[in-house]
Amino acid sequence: MNTDKKLIIIDDDPDFVGAIRSTLEKAGYQVDAAYNPREGFQALQARHYDLLLLDIMMGRGAEGIALARKIRKDARLREMPVLIITGVREQIAFLFPGQAVHPNFVDVDELVEKPVEPNLLLEKVSALLKAAEEKHAQPQ
Amino acid sequence: METKSRILLIDDEEVVIDSCSQILAGGPYELASASDGTAGLRLVSEFHPDLVFVDLKMPGISGFEVLEKIREMDPTIVMVVITGFATVSSAVEAMKNGAYDFLPKPFTPDEFRMIARRGLDKRRLMLETIALRREKEMLREQFAAIVSHELKAPLGAVQQNLFVLADELSGSLNEDQMKRIERMKTNINDLIQLILTWLRVLSVDVNKIRENFKPTPVATVLSKAVETVQPHAQRKDIELVSSIREPLGHVNGDEGTLVEVVVNVLGNGIKYSRAGGEVVIHTEKTADELMISITDHGVGISREDLPHIFNDFYTGKAERGGEGSSGIGLAIARRIVEAHDGSITVESELGRGSTFVIHLPSLREEANPAPRADLEMAKS
Repeated sequence: MNTDKKLIIIDDDPDFVGAIRSTLEKAGYQVDAAYNPREGFQALQARHYDLLLLDIMMGRGAEGIALARKIRKDARLREMPVLIITGVREQIAFLFPGQAVHPNFVDVDELVEKPVEPNLLLEKVSALLKAAEEKHAQPQ
Repeated sequence: METKSRILLIDDEEVVIDSCSQILAGGPYELASASDGTAGLRLVSEFHPDLVFVDLKMPGISGFEVLEKIREMDPTIVMVVITGFATVSSAVEAMKNGAYDFLPKPFTPDEFRMIARRGLDKRRLMLETIALRREKEMLREQFAAIVSHELKAPLGAVQQNLFVLADELSGSLNEDQMKRIERMKTNINDLIQLILTWLRVLSVDVNKIRENFKPTPVATVLSKAVETVQPHAQRKDIELVSSIREPLGHVNGDEGTLVEVVVNVLGNGIKYSRAGGEVVIHTEKTADELMISITDHGVGISREDLPHIFNDFYTGKAERGGEGSSGIGLAIARRIVEAHDGSITVESELGRGSTFVIHLPSLREEANPAPRADLEMAKS
């Protein structure tokens, strides 16, 4: 089991958070949740997390993007893997079938669309954690 | 809220202005008059008329010129010409220049009143149409926001919880209960896909496409589109036959969305063709128009479906060989082509196939570097 890994979900929809959290906890992760970007950033500063699951549309707009940018500028948080979970596809006009959802939208590690199959979510999470571990084990 | 309709008379004969004023006196009208074109045009911008009567034969600038200038200032102003020499040809010429009607001199009070009333009706209809169109556009945008937040997000959360429940209960549910949960998942997924389809239609913002317009080589558009659909064609054993006549030149447009249009129409051709068939892309270029025609010999479109196939969500009543369709591809294609000042037409016969023709205004090659300059000047 993955009991040593701490994850945090930042999403303003408690129903969605509840479901995701249940999936992740069942897989053995420790999971915290924050329901707005401000609380989320405070939590990230107070504690170490191995991975962030981040929603995009929160509050008055795409506040998740602003938070992701802030994290990428923060010396301590910069290396933390960020997995975007979003229903934001409709914001991108002229999405071609098969085209990446948004190539340069913001620098994050992965993106999945809501709702997400539990197995797919767990796959992505464990791949990101593994990649971060490998990166950490052999610093260049 | 009875507002008076504003009528402007531009005529150099004082007697005409006098008699017209008398005829309309007491009615729900506000009148203004000018005895030559220059003064008349000044009044158009100050008085904001709904309807203008213009004498074709005046000293100074001609009636035709006045018509043209008014049309540039405000195309919703209704113009009626007064022609003294009562020749049908000059009246026809004036109608070609945007006049709505003509009034041959001499005229009776009843004739004048009737034509004035008709002109004002026309103006009211035009304004109502514009207002309706604007309202529809606003509804479209608001609806997009409502759909995305109020419907899709909670459905997504429900689905997410259902995933988890199915997972957590998998050991304790019997086969029938599991089946019911699977049905729920499928149904919610269908709903989410339907919402995504709506959002796709609503997000095609014509004004945004126009912002990216630049001279775009048609050959690139076609080759990219063919490349995209080629795998589908191969899978269905359908040959894409190209009868493209070089040079194709450029159109003023947005490459990405134009490719989407051609992909859409080609994709339709492939979708509704029988295995082993062919889809033909043919092009034709005249001095100011480029035509891309795409022909298939597939199932075709029935006569009753034909007028509706470019409407949002129309999938047709006829069975199309079991192929699923959301009914938005052609609607989006039409909207994109119209944003390019083009049009898309179709001819089809049930059981024999269809030909779609995309018409686009082509750029004159020698004027290529500054394609819109002449238009910009004409507007200012």
